[in-house]
Amino acid sequence: MVDWLTMTIQMVSLAMAGWCLVSTFRDQPMVVPHLVGMGVLWLLVLGQVAAATVTVVGGDRPAETAMFVSYLATVALLPPACAVWGFMERSKWGPAVIAFACLILPVLFVRLEQLWSPVV
Amino acid sequence: MSETSAPTTARTLRTGPGRLLVAVYGVFALAATARGSYQLATRFDEAPTAYALSLFAGIVYLVAAVGLARAGRTSRLVALVSCAVEMAGVLVVGTASVFWPSVFPEDTVWSGFGSGYLFIPLVLPALGLWWILRVHRLDRG
Repeated sequence: MVDWLTMTIQMVSLAMAGWCLVSTFRDQPMVVPHLVGMGVLWLLVLGQVAAATVTVVGGDRPAETAMFVSYLATVALLPPACAVWGFMERSKWGPAVIAFACLILPVLFVRLEQLWSPVV
Repeated sequence: MSETSAPTTARTLRTGPGRLLVAVYGVFALAATARGSYQLATRFDEAPTAYALSLFAGIVYLVAAVGLARAGRTSRLVALVSCAVEMAGVLVVGTASVFWPSVFPEDTVWSGFGSGYLFIPLVLPALGLWWILRVHRLDRG
């Protein structure tokens, strides 16, 4: 896990959540800039997933590897799945879906970091 | 995109607020199912009841998510029943975990009325039931 990448992902994710919440309360549907934002976020997440995968394959793995890998798969799939699901809805509930996903994502990364280096 | 294939007369559960509800249910289904199967697979001996319950909860969330996401009468009934099961589950298990903690030594999604998950397991079925009944009423009226 690359620490600064996790931090960046969490910041970008929360910023996306804020932006999408504003869109929701302004009664705006999802537009292309939202999708581009989610694309950037997804690339950052994929970068972190790739870095973590390389480390795990290289033999440096956390105690609960299965749990860690299932969380990795979740964070890799969450942004595109929610982006598509939200974009299909042509009302303010589209950005609401993205806002939810972008609020969950930082929490998932906190869990990932905990699994990576448990504080015992 | 598959909106056109849905019956035009019937309102579907997956549009509007339902869109967000399906997303939340989807994430919860994934979380609870993954957690339940992992715990059952690795630590079955410690607390089989609690872990089996986690897995069961996950499956119910999954059924609810699919029921909400699909258009049509049958899936509406499926969603209604699974939301009702969740409501009952979180209330019964929540109460049991507060008054008889020994029954559930390990935490499940429903322990303490879902306090480990920001009480989302308690709020979610209520919202689900409200949404399904609202769509149903609008459909008839």
